[in-house]
Amino acid sequence: MTLEELRNRMKAARVEIAENRLEVVRRLLTDALRPIQAMDSRAHRPLEPAVTFDAVRSRGDRGQ
Amino acid sequence: MASEELFYATIRDVGARLRRRAISPVELTRAHLERIERLDPKLHAFVTVTADRALADAKGAEAALGRGDISSPLLGIPIGYKDIYATRGILTTGGSALLADWIPDEDSTCVTRLQRAGAVMLGKLITHEFAFGIQFPGHRYPPARNPWDLERMPGGSSSGSGAALAAGMAFGALGSDTGGSIRGPASFCGIAGLKPTYGRCSRTGVLTLSWTLDHTGPMARTVEDCAYLLQALAGYDATDPASSREPVPDYVAPLGRGVRGLRVGVVREYFFEGIDPEVEKAFEQALATLRQLGASVEDVQIASIQSSGAFMAILLAEAFAYHERDLRERPELFGELLRERMLAGALITGSEYVQAQRLRARLQSDMGAALKRVDVLATPTSPKPAPTFATVYDPEYGFPRSNTGPFNMTGLPALAMPCGFTASGLPISIQITGRPFDETTVLRVGHTYEQATDWHKRHPAL
Repeated sequence: MTLEELRNRMKAARVEIAENRLEVVRRLLTDALRPIQAMDSRAHRPLEPAVTFDAVRSRGDRGQ
Repeated sequence: MASEELFYATIRDVGARLRRRAISPVELTRAHLERIERLDPKLHAFVTVTADRALADAKGAEAALGRGDISSPLLGIPIGYKDIYATRGILTTGGSALLADWIPDEDSTCVTRLQRAGAVMLGKLITHEFAFGIQFPGHRYPPARNPWDLERMPGGSSSGSGAALAAGMAFGALGSDTGGSIRGPASFCGIAGLKPTYGRCSRTGVLTLSWTLDHTGPMARTVEDCAYLLQALAGYDATDPASSREPVPDYVAPLGRGVRGLRVGVVREYFFEGIDPEVEKAFEQALATLRQLGASVEDVQIASIQSSGAFMAILLAEAFAYHERDLRERPELFGELLRERMLAGALITGSEYVQAQRLRARLQSDMGAALKRVDVLATPTSPKPAPTFATVYDPEYGFPRSNTGPFNMTGLPALAMPCGFTASGLPISIQITGRPFDETTVLRVGHTYEQATDWHKRHPAL
């Protein structure tokens, strides 16, 4: 993420962050979004965004 | 003054002394209040010391013991609560100026359960602001300091819980863990901390940071003490939408079964990036100990482990969603660091949040596959020992890479416990992670390792 893109996002979200902290925020977001931007969602089998933690259902799925 | 040995006793040992009337809950509580008064001015672990409440609890425990009530191992045991757990009639600040005057009408479920088990409430323990923002100089609440080195962070966000336990100011504590806030302080303070399975312990009455990542759980000086606390905490709570109806097993009885025949999987990718050589050496020695104890140790792969960093996108977006109104209407009441972190959550797009949750589903599936081959996973809890305050106060200091966040993504139970010390005397920690709701095996591995080592018996000079 560039600083320009960060500023555009801030404008769209109507938030202000001190100019001298923009680089730190840029790095935080860059790290958080790296795996998302590296992902080609079309390349994966269908994945639901909903996360469940149900114990009974999980046994088959998660190795118990 | 009571001896150091008493303050560093285990819950089992001190409980036995209470039940055979070798010491009374009131004496024990008074001794702790005196110790807090002596040590806390330099540690800042407590926001509020509830001395009157503690003594009332202790007198209640004394009366119960007098009636022959020995049903709870926590009866008369002095503990502390992280200050994001609501406590009825007692200030609950969340480490934030926003809540500087908030006195809840109800106890959180976890507090209710520990109090019902007979625990003595010593007070409220400082948390990073809203469990996310380190208190910088000038903040309304000073940060807790690490008892092993006062110039270093005790970890966070359950910073007061970690500091109080390492300093022998309580036998147990509540922490909460969204990206490592139980396990980080456990790692840096040389104690044990368990993030149970998502849904195992109630979040009701606990300030929210991130709905789908928040976990509540116990912190103590030993794995066994965590098991005692978890036994009282675990179980369904109809007031928490994420609470599980999974039956609660006995967490204490199986601790002594050893690790012979258990399979320990070591995840090399991701968790060793940027690791301190002393941490790596201590971790490898811990693996050797587990082998000697009869466990088999093998490397395992988690295909999507590098996507773990997406947990921060989920955390930031959910934290902003929770705090948005206050961030827009009363931004001056947030610490600068926390405010900028939370505002960063406003910059995550809807699509990015959805994709982060999809990556999470894939990570959950991949970890589940690994846990079909092994019984537990082992990783270093933190790749480095506790940083200095000077380091984290540096304006360029970013959010550190997390070895704990992946298990908030997947909701799996994860235990942090000591596995060594650096040459300069700072604690090093191993993280043991298990299958959903299999805290029993996680605790069993931790306890077996703990019994074979003496790291948990070392205490800071205060």
